[in-house]
Amino acid sequence: MTPFELVEPTSLREAIALLDPDDSSVRPIAGGTALMLMMKAGVFRPSRLVSLRKLPDEHSRITLAAQGELTMGAMTPLSRVERSAEVARFAPVITRAMRRLSNVRVRNVATIGGNLAHGDPHMDLPPVLIALGAQVSIAGPQETRRIAVEDLFAGYFETVLQKNELISELRIPPQGKSRAAYIKVTTGSAEDWPALGVAVSIEREGSAFKSARVVISAATEKAMRLAAAEHALAGADIDDRALARAGEAAAAEVECISDVRGSAAYKRELVRVFVARALRQALDGNGAAH
Amino acid sequence: MPAHQVGRQVGRSLPRIEAREKVTGRAEYTHPMRLAGMLHAKIFRSTVAHGRIRSIDTAAAANMPGVHRVVTSLDVRKVIAEPYYGPAFHDQPILAIDKVHYVGEPVAVVLAADPHVAEEAAALIVAEYEELPAVFDEVEAAENKILVHDELRPAGTFADLKHLKGRRGTNVALDFKLRRGDVDKAFGAAAHVFEHTFRTQKALHLALEPFASIADWKETGVTIYSASQGPSFVRTEIARLLGWPENRVRIKVPYLGGGFGGKLYIKLEALATALSMIVRRPVKVALTMEEQFYTITKHPSTFRIKTGVDASGRITARKCEVFWNGGAYADIGPRVTQKSGFTASGPYDIDNVWIDSYALYTNLPPAGALRGFGIPQLVWAYESHTDMIAQALRLDPVEFRRRNILREGRSHATGTVVQDVKLEAALERVAERLRWNQPLDRGRGTLRRGRGVAMAIKAVISPTTSVANVNVAADGSTILYCGTVDMGQGSDTAMTQIVGEVLDIPAESVKVVARDTDVTPYDMGTLGSRSLFHMGHAVRLAAEEARDKIKALARDVGEPDGSNIPISELFKKKYGMQAGNIIGTGIYKPDYVPPDPANGSTSNATPFWMCAAVGAEVEVDTETGRVRVGRLVNVVDCGRPLNPKIVETQISGGALMALGFTMFEKMHIDAGQVTNASLADYKIPCTLDVPPDMENEAVDAHQSNGPFGGKGVGETATFCVSPAIGNAIADACGVRLMELPLNPEAVLRALRANEKRELGEE
Repeated sequence: MTPFELVEPTSLREAIALLDPDDSSVRPIAGGTALMLMMKAGVFRPSRLVSLRKLPDEHSRITLAAQGELTMGAMTPLSRVERSAEVARFAPVITRAMRRLSNVRVRNVATIGGNLAHGDPHMDLPPVLIALGAQVSIAGPQETRRIAVEDLFAGYFETVLQKNELISELRIPPQGKSRAAYIKVTTGSAEDWPALGVAVSIEREGSAFKSARVVISAATEKAMRLAAAEHALAGADIDDRALARAGEAAAAEVECISDVRGSAAYKRELVRVFVARALRQALDGNGAAH
Repeated sequence: MPAHQVGRQVGRSLPRIEAREKVTGRAEYTHPMRLAGMLHAKIFRSTVAHGRIRSIDTAAAANMPGVHRVVTSLDVRKVIAEPYYGPAFHDQPILAIDKVHYVGEPVAVVLAADPHVAEEAAALIVAEYEELPAVFDEVEAAENKILVHDELRPAGTFADLKHLKGRRGTNVALDFKLRRGDVDKAFGAAAHVFEHTFRTQKALHLALEPFASIADWKETGVTIYSASQGPSFVRTEIARLLGWPENRVRIKVPYLGGGFGGKLYIKLEALATALSMIVRRPVKVALTMEEQFYTITKHPSTFRIKTGVDASGRITARKCEVFWNGGAYADIGPRVTQKSGFTASGPYDIDNVWIDSYALYTNLPPAGALRGFGIPQLVWAYESHTDMIAQALRLDPVEFRRRNILREGRSHATGTVVQDVKLEAALERVAERLRWNQPLDRGRGTLRRGRGVAMAIKAVISPTTSVANVNVAADGSTILYCGTVDMGQGSDTAMTQIVGEVLDIPAESVKVVARDTDVTPYDMGTLGSRSLFHMGHAVRLAAEEARDKIKALARDVGEPDGSNIPISELFKKKYGMQAGNIIGTGIYKPDYVPPDPANGSTSNATPFWMCAAVGAEVEVDTETGRVRVGRLVNVVDCGRPLNPKIVETQISGGALMALGFTMFEKMHIDAGQVTNASLADYKIPCTLDVPPDMENEAVDAHQSNGPFGGKGVGETATFCVSPAIGNAIADACGVRLMELPLNPEAVLRALRANEKRELGEE
């Protein structure tokens, strides 16, 4: 690790001004849990790090807004999300996912904005937030735009963020009668990165699925919705065959990546099995961690 | 001393004497240590698995501001003409000379006062290689089509390696054989013959303190601070390299952040010494976590095993061919090949045995000792094989073992009569705890449950020597000097208990001096579960000599027999003031008979046997291949536990380490390149991986020739975990895995193969 400049702006505007749209060696740093690993490995050699830790408290608040939306400042530490009573009421799937998200040391410093902006397909929260229909506010030098989390990821460790843009806030819409589940599938130690993450959110109408969101991560180059699986579920009667069909559709449409956590062929089997199991968990309201 | 129970120090669960220092961050380790004027070294490593070095361009690195010097083997040879080291073979160069033999081999070093500058500069070095064909698989290596080394260079330390001196055209660094009876005839007469091949993967020690050494060389002598499990060996080997007497070489070893067999022999000490000689300043070489993957590993292995069984279910013959993948440098591999190889036929009473055990060079990072010294690889094969035979013969696996178990007083394949082996007791305790006689809930749906057992023996490495001194000061306080390195196993605590027991003083009042070869006497090394037995005896003898001298002192000053006046009063009476001291010395080397090179037979293969049995209950998810180990019962024979709490943590720690090697740990290698060389991609077990029901037990035992009835236990719980789980998986869902690790994909692929609907390759 070679010396670099560390700046600690105290406002979002100042932070954005310190970033450089054309220089990839200038990067923002929030909790730093992922960036430090890249720096240690020599994959990233910064010339300047723009620390976001001195930003005002408003950027690390969790608020239940009047319109029924839940908002979280991008600098909210994951452990605060984990322990938030609002989050537990509003979207218990997030609280449950936190229990096996990395470890307590990482959760104490890693932030929700950093977790999303890193673009790592192995993260647990992106698929969950996509399933919940969450959006992020992105602040740039001129304007703030808002996009769906599912549109944030462009590829393997790639997002649509410009180099001088920062995620400022996360918004999760009211979940109504939807129920969600997330399963983290590890193939090594329980503390390993997932080989596959599956998040689902379903709404039922009588004995049928009204709608479903099916999202996978880790096994693919980015967290993504599975349109064929969702299509297979929409309007279908709720029974084991429907779940199996969704699993089949999911397995048929994914392109998995082979790595030390499993071959693509094996991960496709996992997708088939765990899409169905995640749907079953959401239906049963059984949020027990896999 | 009213707070302490005086006497009966052995058998107490005394808390670890260094625990407070460690948990408060005060304990000293090598990795963070600094000396005044010290330079940091960063290593530039080979990117090819086998190649001739055409050029090394160090100009850009040398020109970088802050760089003190860039060093290659050309510089090393100016200070050490023959810079090759190793415990069995002098085959490993301090920096690569002419050729590189594995990806990750040290080729050059950058020295700088700032380690970050050294690291940055090392990245600017460019080497060109003429690539040569490489061999990675141990069975392929045995064909000798691609040769790793042109000529073998045995160290001369070991008699059984002398015949390999100067041998060319081979990758075999040792060919151990054992022959008993006539296996071919017995196979011919057998009612059933079974033959299987098992494999194990390349895995890592992964001590949480990476390798680190600091050398401070001066004309008058060199001091080396090192995270080493064997300071005496390091001193001898550095003295040999420098052509100096041992008294000019001083090795200081603080606490170790784990060792597991990795920090034995020479690792970074020779490099640090050469660098310090070149720049005449103290030099520190401290590796990153990632660099550990290129230093020393566990042996991958292939084991072909063939067994003949008679109509009554008695094993009549066994043939074992074991191939040990030693990587590019032999390290201690040849000793693993022989000292563990001779137990390859297992803890069974078999009249006809044939063992061939081969140490092989390949173009991979070197392999050495790892908590078990090769035994876990052997047990994985022979205990999986045992269950496969039992299943084929429709015999209960425990009953089949009872029928063939090596009993007390019977002779092992070497001809050595086994004594103090509580193997049957360990097996029976496992069977009892598992309620083996009662049916198991087999699970339902996609979750299938099963159970399995395994058992093993291991001989301790022999012959080895330990020396200890006990120093009683004039105020009666006591200091112990012993070279056993406490790397987390609790040896210091156990040794103070032995001193306390003999001198009838509280163990916690005994000080253990930090390892320093100028101060602490010789010890062969902290390895192979030998310390409690060998050093324990040496410490006992030293304390007994001190006790006898105290008695003599009492007589000398006119005290009657049985007088209980304090020791300090004796000194005062003798010297007229608080002055003088009493030193007791103990030396221990057990009896041993080397094996006959023709057939491996010996009447005394080992001073003691370690015995273990494990039972596992698993649940297999047949849709995903995921195996949940619900219960792991670990039973060992360690003689009398001198510190029951430490024994228990050694059992649980060893079993959990073995659980990682069993379930998922694996160095993934592509064309010689390790592709998961980091803690992000190579995981070891965490708290959540601990089986919910984990039972650890030391059977009631007394090692008749051990110190206070004890013997070593550091490795014992690692032996049987893999086959016990493999056997449980087979019992649960009918698939038999022949290769470690037993990860979910391997299980699912086997399940699908059974159903004739194989998973695709990619």
